[in-house]
Amino acid sequence: MPKTWIVPPKGLNDAELALVDAYNTLVKTLEESSEDLEPFERRNALKAVAALWQVMNGLDLDPGHLYDIGA
Amino acid sequence: MPDSPFWNKRHETMPRDQLEALQVRKLQNLVQWATQQVPFHASRLGDAGVTPDSIQSLDDLRRIPFMTREEWMRSQVEHPPYGPILAAPESAAIRYHMTSGTTGRTPIRVLDSMKDWEWIAEMWCYGFWGFGVRPTDTVFFAFSYGTFVGFWGAHYACEKIGCLVLPGGNMTTEARVKQIVDMNATVVCSTPTYALRMAQEAHKLGIDFANGPVERLILSGEPAGSIPATKKLIEDQWGAVAGDTAGMTELGTIMVFECSEQPGGTHIIEPHYIEEVVDPVSGEPVGYGEQGERVVTSFGRGFIPVLRYRTRDLVVKVPADRCSCGRTLDIYEGGIVGRVDDMKLVRGTNVYPRAVEAIVREFAEVDEFQIHLFTAESIRDEIEVLVEIPDSKADADTILKKIGTELSEAHEGLRFGVRQVANESLPRFELKAKRLNDEREVIGSAGEKRKA
Repeated sequence: MPKTWIVPPKGLNDAELALVDAYNTLVKTLEESSEDLEPFERRNALKAVAALWQVMNGLDLDPGHLYDIGA
Repeated sequence: MPDSPFWNKRHETMPRDQLEALQVRKLQNLVQWATQQVPFHASRLGDAGVTPDSIQSLDDLRRIPFMTREEWMRSQVEHPPYGPILAAPESAAIRYHMTSGTTGRTPIRVLDSMKDWEWIAEMWCYGFWGFGVRPTDTVFFAFSYGTFVGFWGAHYACEKIGCLVLPGGNMTTEARVKQIVDMNATVVCSTPTYALRMAQEAHKLGIDFANGPVERLILSGEPAGSIPATKKLIEDQWGAVAGDTAGMTELGTIMVFECSEQPGGTHIIEPHYIEEVVDPVSGEPVGYGEQGERVVTSFGRGFIPVLRYRTRDLVVKVPADRCSCGRTLDIYEGGIVGRVDDMKLVRGTNVYPRAVEAIVREFAEVDEFQIHLFTAESIRDEIEVLVEIPDSKADADTILKKIGTELSEAHEGLRFGVRQVANESLPRFELKAKRLNDEREVIGSAGEKRKA
């Protein structure tokens, strides 16, 4: 499990859980498979994860920082 | 989901005990991050015996040493260009901004990463949404889009919200006024001073703003957005409601905003900041309703951790229930009400008299000088530097022009008038010099002298 993996707490609704899942998937992909991505894939994924980080932060899920992966 | 008056309801209506617990947890994380990543903070926190585990309540915050602008600037001078304050490699940054400094040409320089930049916009979203801006709005920015951070974050916030954004950089005031009307802008963002300047221009052009499309003004950059007389004048001239916001380059974004209930002050975005109010001399906390200095700790921008930063802004904090909007976020009554130091805000730009002096004194021909602030046409702040050049052989015109250019370059493009006055006409000082003459009035009042 990546160090930035977020374990969702109880109380989130299904839509919010889907966003946590999307965030975790994106971060994991960027951490582990970044070199397999074309520039357009990697940079757009970084933009998406930077936006989803705001959701994790707004839900107070302690998402930490993303500088290691370039966001 | 029905339209919500809140951008983030759980944050904005969180019970105070939960909010404080959240702040403590975020503070622990911040102390850990700053200690691990930033030697500048590690040594300061270490000297004070502060560790993440030692933070158990908000009272423990007071064990963290204050951070000052002077320290920050000195660290950048000693370790240019950013100082030893970065928590991430420069290569992770996507954005550079700066603000005018306190001494001469040394600015404060900041960097942001992609997610920090998104967070900067996120803070503005609390403010815009809270003041009623929605995806159907068309938002015009009367902003110069330079290295001054200003409304940059607000621009991206409006894109995020889904508004149609009209970036009004590099335009004359006339062109801006015409575009606001031609494009049916429903929201306009500017400094309070410039809002009045645009209204004046509209009047000259025969455009009736009061019956125009603009419904809301978002003001920032000067305290006037919360001064009742000025705000009323702006609202009357535009036929729109005006909401105050305040931010700072050191944070990258706003930390307070006025909600649509207009409670006569600005809500603090407390889930993302701890805002203390302290006695400017003793540093001890003051209570609700008492004036003191803002000290900010930010949980947002990870690239440059900010812990207990002394802002020199004067504020009066009052409880959230002063407002009927339902937010549990405390309020700065009257917004930013003044300054502890001698900094002046002129059309949104910080001006420190000692920074002006450092530049003027580079011109040996200048014997004496005075900084003169005044209100032009009852609506606009102006700054001019009066200089004495006693040597009749000196090329005074060239010197005046050079001083003006260099002052402007050191102050985010702010226009300075530089005028030669008769020799021996300016006051001389034997002890503490007072070369600042602030004659500005409260805009919208009957000539009342401004306090800050």
